[in-house]
Formats: sequence, C-alpha cells, structure tokens
Amino acid sequence: MRRRPTSPIQISERELTALTRDLDEMHRATLPVMHDAVAEWKEDLRSRSEQPEPEALTTSRRRFLVGTGAVFSGLLLAACGSTDDDGEETGGRKQGSATEAVRPLTGDFAIAALAASIENLAVNTYQAGLEAATAGRLGEVPPAVAAFAKTAQQHHGDHAGAWNQVLTNGRRHTVTGVDRTVKGNVDPAFAQVNDVAGLARLALELEKVAAATYLKSISAIKNNGALKVAASIQPVEMQHAAILHFALGEYPVPDSFAKEDGARSATDQIG
Amino acid sequence: MPIDEHALGELLVESQDLQSDAMRTSRESLDAMVELGHERRAQGGFDPDEGDHVANERRRLMRMSLLGTGALATTGLGAALLGVMSRPAFADEALDVQMLQTSASLENLAVSTYDKALGLDFIGGGGANPTVRAFVLKTKEQHAEHAAAFNAAATRLKGKPQTGPDPILQKAVDRALTPTPTAPGPVVALAIDLEMGAAQTYQNNVAALSDPQARSLTASIMGVEAQHVSILLAVKALVEANQPDLIALDPGNVAKLPEAAGTVGIPDAFGKTEKSRPAEEGALA
Repeated sequence: MRRRPTSPIQISERELTALTRDLDEMHRATLPVMHDAVAEWKEDLRSRSEQPEPEALTTSRRRFLVGTGAVFSGLLLAACGSTDDDGEETGGRKQGSATEAVRPLTGDFAIAALAASIENLAVNTYQAGLEAATAGRLGEVPPAVAAFAKTAQQHHGDHAGAWNQVLTNGRRHTVTGVDRTVKGNVDPAFAQVNDVAGLARLALELEKVAAATYLKSISAIKNNGALKVAASIQPVEMQHAAILHFALGEYPVPDSFAKEDGARSATDQIG
Repeated sequence: MPIDEHALGELLVESQDLQSDAMRTSRESLDAMVELGHERRAQGGFDPDEGDHVANERRRLMRMSLLGTGALATTGLGAALLGVMSRPAFADEALDVQMLQTSASLENLAVSTYDKALGLDFIGGGGANPTVRAFVLKTKEQHAEHAAAFNAAATRLKGKPQTGPDPILQKAVDRALTPTPTAPGPVVALAIDLEMGAAQTYQNNVAALSDPQARSLTASIMGVEAQHVSILLAVKALVEANQPDLIALDPGNVAKLPEAAGTVGIPDAFGKTEKSRPAEEGALA
C-alpha cells in the first residue's frame, strides 16, 4: 500500500472524542453477554452434576491440552493423558494452595486457566509499558497509544475475570498468575524496548498469541458456554492486533483467515 | 347457523389429504436428513459428545427460524417439528449447511457492495484516499476468499454453493446506496454495518455449528471481519473529524492521531451477537 506524506495536524479532537464519549458505557454493556455465557457454563456444570468427562477426547482437544511445546519445551509440565478415578484427565495443575474441595484443572478448565494466565500476562505487560512510558523510558508517547494501551489492558482484565468466574463456578481456584512459558519470552523482549514502536511490536505479538490460542481452543472446548466465551474474546484480540498494526504503519488486516500459529497449549506453566 | 354436512365432510377429507401429503413430505425430508446423519457417522465425522455441545444452540436457532415463518407457530406442528429437528441425527448437516450458505451470502453481499463502492470516485477513483482505496480493494478480495471457503464447506456437507447475496441485507444496501452517496461517510457506515453483521453472525454460529471443520473455518473468519470493523470505525471517526489525511500507513502517523483514535476501533471487551443474522436467511431452498 502506498504511503501518504504526512501533513500538519488540524485535528478536531473534540469531534473525535465525542464519538467515543460513551466508550466505557459501551464496554460495560458488553459484559452481560459474557455473563450469560458464563452462566450457561455454570448451569451446564450443575446439570451434569460434575459428571466425568468422556474418555474419548477428540484429536484437536487432545492436541490442545497436550500441545507440541516445540518452542518452550524446557518449561513444560507433564502432559495430560490418562483418566483418574473421577473420570478427569490426570496431569492437570492445582492452582494455589489447593484444598480437598478444589479440583485440579483438566479439560475445559485447563483451557480456562491457560486463557486467564495469558490475559493476566497481557494486563501485566501493558501495565509495565504504561509505567515505562510514565517514567519517560519510551520517549514521547502519543496520546492515542496511551489510550489504546489503557483500554486494551482493561479488556484483558475483563477477559481474565470472565475465565476466573468460570473457574470459580466450577469450584476451581482462580488464576492470578501468568503464563510463565510465554513470559519467558516476553521478559527479555521487554527489556530491550526503548520506544513506543518497540512496545507496540511486543504488544502485537502478545495479542497474536492470545488470538491464536483462542482460535485453537474453539476446536477443543466441549462446553457450549465456554465456547461462547472464547468466541466472544477472540475477535477482540484480533481487533487489538489490527489497531497495533495500523499504529506501526503496517497493513492492519494482513490475513484473510486467522491463524493458529503461536497458539499456546494447556501444558504451559502457570504461576 | 345452518351447516352443510356434505360440504363439511368434503372439507374434512380434503384436510386429511393435505395433512397426509404434508406428513409424507416431512417424513421424506426427515428420512433424507437421518440418512445423511448415518452416512456421516459411518465416516467417523461425528463426535457424540458434540450433541450436547451444540444441541441447545441449534434448538435456539431453529426456534428462531420456525417462529420466523409464523405458519407453524399456531399449529402445534412447529413444536413437534422443533423437537425432531433438534435431534442431532436430523439437524447436524442441515443446519450447518444453512449457516454456511447464509455466511456465503453475507460474503457475496460484501463483495458486491465493496465493488459498487469502488465505482465511486471518492472511494475507488482519483478523489479517494489511497489508503482507503487499497483497504477496500483488499477487503473485497478477502470477502471473496471467505465466500469460496464457506461454499466449499457447504459443498462438503452435501449442500449447494450459495452464489447470491443475503436477500434481506441486499435490500438494506440498495436503500443505503439510493440515491448514490456523495461523500465517504455513508459508505463507510454501510460497510461497518455489513462487517458487524458478518462478524456477529459467525460468532453466533461458532457455538451452533456441529461440524468441527465448519466451526473452525467460521472461527477463523469472524476475527478478520471484526478487524475490518475496527479499521472502518477508525476511518469513519477520522472522516467525520474531517481529518482523512490521518488515514495513512505511516509509522510516524501515530504521533499525530488524537487520543480517541486509540480506542474508537476497540469499543467492546467482548464481541456481541445482537446483529447476527438468522441461520436460514441466506440459505438455499
């Protein structure tokens, strides 16, 4: 695409701001949709009375839960696979100080925990970026970038909240930690960020990982409520990526079809 | 009130014949659908667990479809048919094909609408912002790819490819483009509506499709349409702010954008489905 020479700013910010005056209200208005999906999952759990999951997992589901781990193989936990006395897959993680009343994370709950951990990592990374900007370590930060970072961070916080609500409804611990497997790559990359473009590039990579993970999870999730939650979040991560592409001066919708490249698996380390 | 018993008798016989014809037609359709389900299971293409997974969603979509016709709602047959159609044996391919054909119809409409837009000087001609023109061209191509993919999926499930547009939205597009717009604003707004409709329809369908491949395909497209929405929202805002020059792919451009430009394209934390289209809206008979 041909680039256009820039021109002096004659922006009517008031007009543009007026278009987003109710942004926060609109954002809040979407929450009931998510709550309905989470409630559907809770109802499904109740109706099943914690029945064991079927032993025969689909190929995509098993692949998602086990993952290839090719990039971060040194940090992987034992893979899921067998079925315990409760009919749940073994090898799942226990979050925090698990008690007898709290069950391990397997199946859709493992996916929910993974999603929450990626969302938490995104929240923390945007927070670190905003703090670096405030400290002046990124040079001059355009107001549009700061506004984007705050809004995207809020979205990711809401996403983490949705998944944690799912976990809580299923009598699992909430996930307050991050995907440490991904963080292992984010930390050294963030250490090298010294300008807004570098931060935007890092954020873009995280958004792509999140979107790819949700896309892949849609093939693996069995519960309809959980599927709706994932389907309601994946497009939002894609939108974040589009805006970041645009901010970087890149074509904002480069792919005709979303990709699973870079998707994380439920074997990632969380903590 | 006098009653002509002879005429009443004829009416009853006629009614019974009509009912028998209707039942025979329904039974033939049901048999065909059940046979499709049997074939699919024989090929190992059905995960029994997915019956629970999508049954509620399919039932909801079918209810919308049946109530939409109005004809069945008052007879009681609608409820019975709903119960039969909600069974996986009947509905898996049938409703999947409907959703895929409707999806293709949305893509076809997007292609034709962007094509018309490119015929406008301020979108595709010499008076156009080059970034906007390039975006419309590329987006049109992407929708054509989506249509082909949805039709390939429908064909794989023994459905016919949908080459026409969504008939309901086509009327809305015709109204929006009559008289011909003279500025980009209304055209961009129309594109936003179409992209939102597509994105929300696919998000809705992801939870309802029973075929895993169709579900994955739909999921891979919904986010792309959402990205189109984001960029169009930003374009619309800048056009309405009379700052079209800021619609440019230039790394230095971001410093000139106002604060609100960073958020206008990401209005929601969760995708909505309120503008999703009914499963059968663009389906072939």
